Amino acid sequence: MKEKKRFLLLLGLIFVHLLLISIQVPRGSEPTYFERVVFSVFTPVEHGVVSFFRGLKNFWRNYFYFRDVQRQNQSLRDEAFRLRQENLALKNLLLKFQGGKGIQDLLSTVSRSILVASVIGIDSGQIYRSIHLNKGSTDGVRKDMVVLDRKGRLVGRVIEPVSSRESRVQLVSDEDSGVGVLTERFRVVGILQGDAGGKCRLKYIVKTNREVMVDEEVLTSGLDGIYPSGIPVGRIVSITEDTELFKKIIVEPYFDLSDLDQVAVFTADLRDLS
Amino acid sequence: MKHFVEGVVGIVLAVVLHTVLGKVSAPLLIVFNVFSWVVLYFGLTRHEVFGAVMGTVCGLLQDSLSLGVFGVGGLTKTLLGFGAGYISRKINVTPVTRTFIFALIMAAIELFLWKSLVLFLFGERFSAAGGLIFLQPLFTALFVTVSFQVHRRTEAGRS
Repeated sequence: MKEKKRFLLLLGLIFVHLLLISIQVPRGSEPTYFERVVFSVFTPVEHGVVSFFRGLKNFWRNYFYFRDVQRQNQSLRDEAFRLRQENLALKNLLLKFQGGKGIQDLLSTVSRSILVASVIGIDSGQIYRSIHLNKGSTDGVRKDMVVLDRKGRLVGRVIEPVSSRESRVQLVSDEDSGVGVLTERFRVVGILQGDAGGKCRLKYIVKTNREVMVDEEVLTSGLDGIYPSGIPVGRIVSITEDTELFKKIIVEPYFDLSDLDQVAVFTADLRDLS
Repeated sequence: MKHFVEGVVGIVLAVVLHTVLGKVSAPLLIVFNVFSWVVLYFGLTRHEVFGAVMGTVCGLLQDSLSLGVFGVGGLTKTLLGFGAGYISRKINVTPVTRTFIFALIMAAIELFLWKSLVLFLFGERFSAAGGLIFLQPLFTALFVTVSFQVHRRTEAGRS
């Protein structure tokens, strides 16, 4: 191929990319059809790789590696027993305070709406932005569903694209995410936004406010119209003076990316239940 | 046909390695940009046209697995693949030290270009992830140098 043709090809490719970038401007954060197709084609590869290694690990553990199994088994039985007791006690308390059939229906709805999903991939551009799950639209996953970690703390929400068997979750640590939150003690309301480095910033707390303190827990407020209220999000790690009007408050999210193997997707709208 | 199969194998291996690294430890994905490895390797071994096409495919693939602006990774990786192939045809980069320095410079330029685009054009914040991001060109250069030298010796052995 002649040199001129090579440069023409380069120009053509650059043009295609610029076109792809410019298409997104009027569409906002909504992914293009092309992006959906590429996501649907390659996330099954991630899915397959994770399933393969999980299979290998399970094979090793199920047939060869029995060290500590009995101790683990006992510890899990103890924990299951404790959680059953706690669950019963909480159910009884709820019935005592709210009573009737309504609360039973509510509890069974909550129980049915929990979908356990495995994390099959992490954002390739910036690790604190998004993760990929092995559950998609055929499993009932839809946009804006709330995702929690194994301890019930907020991880993020499902966003587009959602393919038939895989989906994407925007983490609360993403700088484009916004979560309506309040502080635990004095219920000071603000907006939590990711800082691109794994932490979050609690925004719009005025300088004169003396009710926000370091080490205080931050919970969802439910005012954003997406997340239900009362879910633990993180803890305040530092407070400094920012601009003339607002404080600079750094919040460390509770979820740990290195420990995020399984998550719970809530397929029912939790705001309707609260 | 042979080159096409090689390219597809390279892309699939990149996705597999990317997934495995993410499962081992998430910060490894900051240090090891496997998609850049593949683009630079094919740019050096198959020159600019193949490098540019691999850059487009790998870049768009990386974009689709990320929440960032779709097309930015594709654009920078296309330029990386084309640049690596074009320059390596004009100057001799076959000795080990030259391969390493060349790959280091190309990887650093790609990182700079990518970060500059998302920072200045799309207003995203820069995060060095505790300095880990600056190790990315170094590890890209190391991988590309080793794989390129292995490729060169295998080709020499055949002929």
